[in-house]
Amino acid sequence: MEFSSAVAELEGCRHTTVMKEMCAECGADLRIDDEPKREVAVVPMVHSVPELKVSEELAQKLGREDAGRLLKDRKLVLLVDLDQTLVHTTNDNIPPNLKGVLHFFLRGPGSPGRWCHTRLRPKTQEFLESAASNYELHVCTFGARQYAHAIADLLDPEKKYFSHRILSRDECFDARTKAANLKALFPCGDNMVCIIDDREDVWRHATNLIHVRPYSFFQSTGDINAPPPPVDEKPKLPSGKNGAQTPNSQEMPSLDPEPDQKGEKEKPSEGGNGKIIKETKADDANKAKEATDSEENDKADAEPRWVETADGQIEVEDPDDYLIYLDDILKRIHKHFYDLYDKMGKNQIPDLKCVIPEVKSKVLAGTSLVFSGLVPTHQKLETSRAYLVAKSLGAVVTQDFTDSTTHLVAVRAGTAKVNASRRIGDGKPNKLHVVTPDWLWTCAERWERVDERLYPLQRGGQSSSRRPPAHCSSPPPAPPIPAPAAALRKRTPSGRFMDTINPLLSFSSDDIADMDREVEDIFNESDESSSDDEKQGDDDLDDEENPPEDRLLSLEAESSQDRLKATQDAESSSDSDLDDETPRPRKRPRKSSPQSDDEPPDDDDSSWNLMGAALEREFLAQD
Amino acid sequence: MFYHISLEHEILLHPRYFGPQLLDTVKQKLYIEVEGTCSGKYGFIIAITTIDSIGAGLIQPGQGFVVYPVKCKAIVFRPFKGEVLDAIVTQVNKVGMFAQIGPLTCFISHHSIPADMEFCPNVNPPCYKSKQEDNVIQEEDVIRLKIVGTRVDATGIFAIGTLMDDYLGLVTQ
Repeated sequence: MEFSSAVAELEGCRHTTVMKEMCAECGADLRIDDEPKREVAVVPMVHSVPELKVSEELAQKLGREDAGRLLKDRKLVLLVDLDQTLVHTTNDNIPPNLKGVLHFFLRGPGSPGRWCHTRLRPKTQEFLESAASNYELHVCTFGARQYAHAIADLLDPEKKYFSHRILSRDECFDARTKAANLKALFPCGDNMVCIIDDREDVWRHATNLIHVRPYSFFQSTGDINAPPPPVDEKPKLPSGKNGAQTPNSQEMPSLDPEPDQKGEKEKPSEGGNGKIIKETKADDANKAKEATDSEENDKADAEPRWVETADGQIEVEDPDDYLIYLDDILKRIHKHFYDLYDKMGKNQIPDLKCVIPEVKSKVLAGTSLVFSGLVPTHQKLETSRAYLVAKSLGAVVTQDFTDSTTHLVAVRAGTAKVNASRRIGDGKPNKLHVVTPDWLWTCAERWERVDERLYPLQRGGQSSSRRPPAHCSSPPPAPPIPAPAAALRKRTPSGRFMDTINPLLSFSSDDIADMDREVEDIFNESDESSSDDEKQGDDDLDDEENPPEDRLLSLEAESSQDRLKATQDAESSSDSDLDDETPRPRKRPRKSSPQSDDEPPDDDDSSWNLMGAALEREFLAQD
Repeated sequence: MFYHISLEHEILLHPRYFGPQLLDTVKQKLYIEVEGTCSGKYGFIIAITTIDSIGAGLIQPGQGFVVYPVKCKAIVFRPFKGEVLDAIVTQVNKVGMFAQIGPLTCFISHHSIPADMEFCPNVNPPCYKSKQEDNVIQEEDVIRLKIVGTRVDATGIFAIGTLMDDYLGLVTQ
C-alpha cells in the first residue's frame, strides 16, 4: 500500500431508518439538526407503527426480500377487509343472548367508550385457515386501530394468521382510500397482492380486488367504519340510554382512588346496559320478527333469520355461505398465479392485476349470451353494466341470436326474444338456456358457472332486478358503482336514497293519473317489448347516469317543501300503482314510479318515514 | 436510571371536599395525579415514597377551588443515552423490533441487531434467529440493550436501542 493513499472513507449515518424523527441506527435527533436536509426515510413499512419510516432504498430491499420469501413459500399476499367482509359489527343495543355474537368494550381516549357487538361471518375460521395456507394475510380496515386490533384478536387469538400485519384507519394516509398505503407496504409493487373487500371505491376499483358480497347481520346497521364521503355513522352510542351514564364522573375533579376501581365503576353501567337490553328485549324480539317478515318481501335471500329458542338463547339462522365461494376463488387465483410463474421461468413474476381478471374471465368462457329487457334500447349494449359484468366473466354477448348462443338472459317472459328463443329451442334441444339476470349476478358473485336450472325464467313471475347488485363488479371499464355498501342497508335496493326519487313524482296525482293513461295507450298500441325497452331506457338513465347531485340541481327551482311533498306522493302513488299492478303482472307498466320494479311490493310506512327523514337530511346538507 | 428525588406539586381541590378528610383527600389526589406520569425533566415518576409537607391552601378568588402546594419524595425512572437496560420484546418485524422497559418503549433497528441474526417471518411468532439457530429472539423474550438515543416529549419518552455491543442480546435465565 502506498503512503498517503486512502484506506477507508468515513461516511456519516444516512439515517435510513427513522422512528419518531430519531435515527434508529445512530440515535441522532433529526428534529434539530436536519432541518434543511431532505429526509431520507419516508416509507412507513410496518402496518401498525406509522412513525417508523425507512428510506426508499431500504424499503425496496425489504420488499424484494418479502417477495422472494413469498415466492419460495409459494404464497401470495391477501389484504383482508373486516367490516362487512369477515365480520359485521353494531353499536346498537342488541339482545345479549344472541348466539354467535361477540361483545367487547372499546375505550377511546376522548370518548367514554362504546360497546361493540360483532358477528363473524359464517365459516370465517375455516376460511382464514384455508386462506392462510396460500396467502400471507394482512388486515386492511377503515376501523380505528383499537377496533381493528380487537377484531383481529377475536379472529385470530394466537396471532398465527395476521401477526402484526394490521393496518387501520389511524395508519391510512388518506381517509377515503386504502390504495394509497399499498405503495408503502409493498414498495416493490403490488403484483403479488390480492384484495378482498366489500367496497371497490376505497381501492379505486383496482383490478386485483375481489369484490365480495357485503355481509350483513344486524338489520339496522351498515358499515360502522365506512369512510367519510357517505354519511359517517361512526362511534356514537345510541345516545340517551347509556350515553348519559358514563361521563358524569369526569365532570368534577374526580377522586377515584385507582384506575382499577374506575374500571369497576364502569361495571355498574355495564350492568345497566344489560338491564336496558332486557327491557327492550321484547321490542327487539318484535323487531326481529318484523325483520323476518319484511325479509320475505326483500329480494335479499341471504339475510339472517332470528329465531328464539326455548333456552333463552336466540338462535340465528344465517344462510350466508359466501366465504365458501370466496375460498374457492382464492384457491383458483393462487393456482393460476403459480402455474404462470412456473411457466414464465425465473426472474419473472406474473402480475395479479392481470391474473385475477384472467381467472375471472374463465368463469363463463365459452358461453354466448343474449340479453332481453336487460339493456335499454337507446343505451349501447357495450356500455351497459350487465354487458361489462358478463364480459368480465368471459362470456360473449351478442345483440341477437347467433348459432353459438347458449344463454338468453331475460328480465321477464313474453318479450320478442324469449318467444324467439322458444322457436330456436325447439330446433336444437338442451342447447339454449333461458335464465333470469339473477343467474348472471350469481355467477359474478361466486365466480363460477351456476346451474342454469336454478334460475329459470318463469312466466308471469316476479322479474328480477335488471341492474347487478353492487358487489357484482366488472373492474376495468365499469363506471363507478353508485351504491356504497353502507347504504345498502336502507331498504332501497338501489342503495342511495336519491335514486328512488324521480322528478316525475313532484307532479300532482292527477297529472300522474293522466300520464298513466297515456302510457297505457302506448302499451296497447305498440309492440310490447320494444316500448318496454324504451321505458327502461328512461329509468336506467335516471338511475345510473345522473348522479344524485345533478338531479338535485335540476330540481333547484322547486322549494324543498314541494320535494318533501313529493315523497308523500311517491308513497301514495307507488302504493296505488302496485295495487293495480298486481292483477296483471306480465305487463308491468312502470308508470311514474320507476322504483316499483325493484321495490318490495308492500313497503311499510316506517320505511317511508325513514326515507323521508333521510331525504330531509340530504336537503339540509345540500343547503 | 432510577432516582429518589424531591418533587413539588400543586393540588387543585374542589370545595366539596372541605371537611374532616380534607388532607387525606389531598394526599389521595396527589398519588393519582403524579404517579405513573412522565415529565421531560424527571422522566417517569414511578412512586411517591413520602409526603414531606402540605402547604397552606390558597382559595382561588371567584371559584372556591383551593390550591395546595405539596412537597414529596418520589422514585423516578429517567433513561439516558448509553445506559444498558433489560427489556422485554413486544413486537418483531422486518424493520427491527420493539421492546418495553417498564413504561419505556424502545425500538431496535435491524441494523443494530447483530448481522448474523436474520428475520424469520414464517414462524409464529416471528423472530430474529442466528444462522446456527442457537440464538433466537422472539416476542416476550428478555433482552439486554443499550440506549443510543431518547426522544423526550412533554408526555412521554421513547428510546432507540442497540444490541451491537458486548454482553448485549438475549438474557438467558
